[in-house]
Amino acid sequence: MIKAGETGLITTDQVQIAAAEYLGEKWGTSVTVCNVEKIFGGASRETYKLSLEVDGETRGVILRRDPPSSLIDTERHLEYGAYDRIYPTDIPVPEPLFLENSPDFLEQPFSIMAAVENPMSDVAQLSNDQKQKIGQQKYDLLGRLAAKDPLALKFDEIMTVPKVVSTAAEQLAYWQGIINEDEIHPQPIAQAAIRWLAANLPPPAQKISIVHGDYRTGNFLFNDQAQITAILDWEMCHLGDPLEDLAWSLDPLWSGEELALAGRLIPHGQAIQIWCEASGLSCNEQALKWWRIFVSVKAVAIWISSSENFENGEGKDAILAMAGWVMTDRQNRILLDYLAPEVLS
Amino acid sequence: MIPHADDALRMLSQRLMTQLLPDLKSLYSLSDGALIGLLINAIADETAEGIQRRLDDIAEMKRIFIAGEALLSSKDKEVTGAELSSYRLTDVNDHHDALTRILVLLHEASENKGFEALNQSIWAYLRRHTQRHKITAVP
Repeated sequence: MIKAGETGLITTDQVQIAAAEYLGEKWGTSVTVCNVEKIFGGASRETYKLSLEVDGETRGVILRRDPPSSLIDTERHLEYGAYDRIYPTDIPVPEPLFLENSPDFLEQPFSIMAAVENPMSDVAQLSNDQKQKIGQQKYDLLGRLAAKDPLALKFDEIMTVPKVVSTAAEQLAYWQGIINEDEIHPQPIAQAAIRWLAANLPPPAQKISIVHGDYRTGNFLFNDQAQITAILDWEMCHLGDPLEDLAWSLDPLWSGEELALAGRLIPHGQAIQIWCEASGLSCNEQALKWWRIFVSVKAVAIWISSSENFENGEGKDAILAMAGWVMTDRQNRILLDYLAPEVLS
Repeated sequence: MIPHADDALRMLSQRLMTQLLPDLKSLYSLSDGALIGLLINAIADETAEGIQRRLDDIAEMKRIFIAGEALLSSKDKEVTGAELSSYRLTDVNDHHDALTRILVLLHEASENKGFEALNQSIWAYLRRHTQRHKITAVP
């Protein structure tokens, strides 16, 4: 068994040894792990890209290991279960291979997925045509995800099925609880937002959909033909109002300086229109406004939670401090733009 | 010599990012190091301006509490009337937090009881507060 250091972290050499043993056992053949590369930015799980030789062929896999602390306190079986159920559909995700709940191999549970070939995720260098092409796919895929029947895909086996009338209030209560539990300093803007949300609940959801939970630029891969090849990071997946994903994807935090573009790709109006056509759902302006404010509160909760992890010593990754400080700062200014009395009146 | 802590942090961050990071082989370490460098820059700004920013907040909140006195309990007034025990960052933070907790309650009370002008002044304060604390060291 691999022994992690005092920080709970392991080395790439340790991953190499443990992965070869584990995969060899699973596949019943000799597996050579040729290379291990830790991937930056996987704040909710430690993420490693492994190059393998199996039966004379080379292939890549992604190993995601539970860290001692993470940005998002999620259960790995929900994330893996989501990949498992989405993989056979027309929504592209990496093929899930193994979920290991035992700490016997890497001292923490982990999952392994097939690696996507030639992955790209940074849209900054793309041409306008490429951005347009990827943006259209992004919202078409999100619409198609919203249209799916979660029960037909057996999501009810791994997560709670909320009611259309109460899903918004339940989501609000959940993230309000996170803020109240984890805030290091009082959050007057988030608290004002929570009061507004509680007093202005949206109409019932049109349907209960699979909500990715973190659908944004950066959480999908594309190839050099500007084709989206995989939607990643399903750790916040849940069932709920499909407008939540649409709202999250439109949050100004993901637009950088290009505020008119959804996720730095296509104009907001176009994104919403594509989503409506692909989902067969409508986009009530007031309901979307509620969800846009909600997702900013949810984001503050996540950033605060990461800050709390950093401050209490559970996690020492710089990205936790960055999220907890810099992103909370930005998100508060986004919330203020939504909540200023002249906007709400 | 009295070190200028903020300048020292900025110089260390620059050294980290321009001289040490390029020698790292792992992309993960390079990205992590760059993020740490940016955070050190933000901490440098906070070292230089953080206490003054909080003192400005505190002064503004106290003016709001005077305007909203009718909505404050006697216990709240004890907190809002208390003086800062020292200019150490921890003490300034604690005082700032205590006042902000009361501001949250006052904000809610202004909404519920129709104190429109007070409500507007709290929103205006929150705008100035976020502007004052805006992190410019990180793009």
